[in-house]
Amino acid sequence: MKQLITELSAIPGVSGRESEVREFIISKIKDVSEYSVDALGNLLVMKKGKRRPSHKVMLAAHMDEVGLIISYITEDGFLKFAPVGRVLPRVLMGRPVLVGSNAVPGAIGVKPVHLLKEDEKKALPETDSLYIDIGAFSREEARGLVKPGDTAVFCSNPVSFGDGFMKGRALDDRVGCAVLVEMIRGDLEFDTWFAFTVQEEVGLRGAKTAAFQINPDYAIVVETTTAADIPGVNDEKRVCLLGEGPAVSFMDRSTTYDHRLYQTVMETAAAKGIKAQPKTVVAGGNDAGVIHTSRAGVRTLTVSVPCRYLHSASCVIKESDAAETAKLVKALATQFADA
Amino acid sequence: MYKELRDLIFELAKKPGTAGDEHAASHAALEKLSRYMPATLDALGNVRGGLAGPGAHIMLEAHIDQIGLIVTRVDENGFVMFEACGGADTRVLEAHEVTVWGKSPLFGVVVTLPPHLSKKEDAAKAKDMSDLAIDTGLPSGQAMALIRPGDRITLNGGHRALAGNRICGPALDDRIGVAAVLRCLELLKEKPHDCRLSVVFSVQEETGGSGAAAGGYSAQADEALVVDVSFASAPDIPKEKSAELGKGPMPGIAPSLDTTMWERLLEIADRHRIPAQVEVMGGGTGTDADKIQNAGAGIRAALISIPLRNMHTAVEIADLTDVENAAVLMAQYIAERGKNA
Repeated sequence: MKQLITELSAIPGVSGRESEVREFIISKIKDVSEYSVDALGNLLVMKKGKRRPSHKVMLAAHMDEVGLIISYITEDGFLKFAPVGRVLPRVLMGRPVLVGSNAVPGAIGVKPVHLLKEDEKKALPETDSLYIDIGAFSREEARGLVKPGDTAVFCSNPVSFGDGFMKGRALDDRVGCAVLVEMIRGDLEFDTWFAFTVQEEVGLRGAKTAAFQINPDYAIVVETTTAADIPGVNDEKRVCLLGEGPAVSFMDRSTTYDHRLYQTVMETAAAKGIKAQPKTVVAGGNDAGVIHTSRAGVRTLTVSVPCRYLHSASCVIKESDAAETAKLVKALATQFADA
Repeated sequence: MYKELRDLIFELAKKPGTAGDEHAASHAALEKLSRYMPATLDALGNVRGGLAGPGAHIMLEAHIDQIGLIVTRVDENGFVMFEACGGADTRVLEAHEVTVWGKSPLFGVVVTLPPHLSKKEDAAKAKDMSDLAIDTGLPSGQAMALIRPGDRITLNGGHRALAGNRICGPALDDRIGVAAVLRCLELLKEKPHDCRLSVVFSVQEETGGSGAAAGGYSAQADEALVVDVSFASAPDIPKEKSAELGKGPMPGIAPSLDTTMWERLLEIADRHRIPAQVEVMGGGTGTDADKIQNAGAGIRAALISIPLRNMHTAVEIADLTDVENAAVLMAQYIAERGKNA
């Protein structure tokens, strides 16, 4: 799975431009399952199991990632941009980026520290005032390389480091995609439905139509969630910890989860000896928000791989958490299908 | 164009050389310099070379060090605490990839909180460096065994070509200066002159210029040509404090710099149609030129700055034509200085 996560996290796929990610996933699953691509670009997959389920279970992971979209080219050849999804100036300033489908290299400019007045040294500019510098001296020179509407991603290669850690640009949520792809490629007890969704980062847009089409009884959203287990953050604010297995949500900003279902997950994990931890801060939101309200309602869960530094060039996960997440998700899917 | 120059710059800039720990960068520069003259490292680690000649004694200088960070402590969970080593900009550090130069080079990420957990009122505030830490993914025992206080940390970035002749990456400040000096020596192979030359690639410019003070003293040259970087124009930089990228190196004038040398540089640039821009400073220059001017019994100093964007970040941007023109200007100066001695 490590190889799969590495490959997936390196593919650019800013919300609305997920096609490269989708094509990669299709190439991995087309020989073992049926699939279709819907009007929005969601990839919908049905994998036959050994048995027909008594309940239809859908697993969902989003293909898109946060990034930037070029809005304007200045006379001097600098690129103005809007963030796609939430990206803070503190992780943008002074970072290398790749623009457009030709991956034109550039960097987000920074006023040199020497020229800052005392009060500016600790002040972060607003995103509006930032720009990408691709080295062009004029609008004309820039237009030969990029155009408004092109998206940009951080230039950040996957790295394995430390004690089983991985750094990657788009681990949110290519880790979830990798978990689903592995499941599809393996043997399943029951027929199972999978949704690789688009545009999660800009308002859970793809998951809404995906859930409508699949019309499941149960849904498990396989995500990454923020781990704040870093110096300077008190224990009660850490959300979840790397190395402690998947984080299971009882409530976030988009969903109040079915409490009995949540408890079942923790019991299943304990019974099967799979590491799992509650997500202990009510924050963030994900595709569950629109899946649980689809049609007449869907029993929905979120199981997340803990991830540090979300929405930056340097998302960090622990490999063992991805493996534990895969085990838990597979166990739950079987359990719900048979329920 | 300028492929050889670009390769030279990237080769020099990818070697780590945070102030006080310039070993790797110094050795790369020493190897290059030795192709032109006998060269060695001095007591402080400066790269020094000399070539005899009957005429004026001219020193060529650029600093070999770069800004970085320095480890102060490894905490009980294996996170690495640090301070600045040189003028690092705390605003660009969060979520930055770094290399900790411990017993072996270790990958790390500077910690940050994502938008989901950030408070609105904190959005506009950069963290103090003392509130940041580096995540090496190592448990504390292993981290403590591999990383010691005093180890240096560099910002990862990688070097790449941008549009036209522009290049991007960390440590261009001042490896492009080192490259300009080496390129000047290459040009002088085809240019007869009778100057005696001393070359110094100084350590510790970013922490105050100790290397240049010692290097200047040892050289005791008649004149020094110092190559460093200065601010290139960008959307948020006042025109009066910057020069245009690609429009030539900037011979500077300041009380600490020699006016005759400055005028001679501008006159040569004009006569040979070498693109050049002027940089004016009201006091010291904030470069090694200030230390060299003051070394021993004093050395007349000129400063040639190469325009650079995003200084002290991992995405410094320079134009290869400016580096080439700095080299051409210095080579012409040396060739004519021999005749004028």
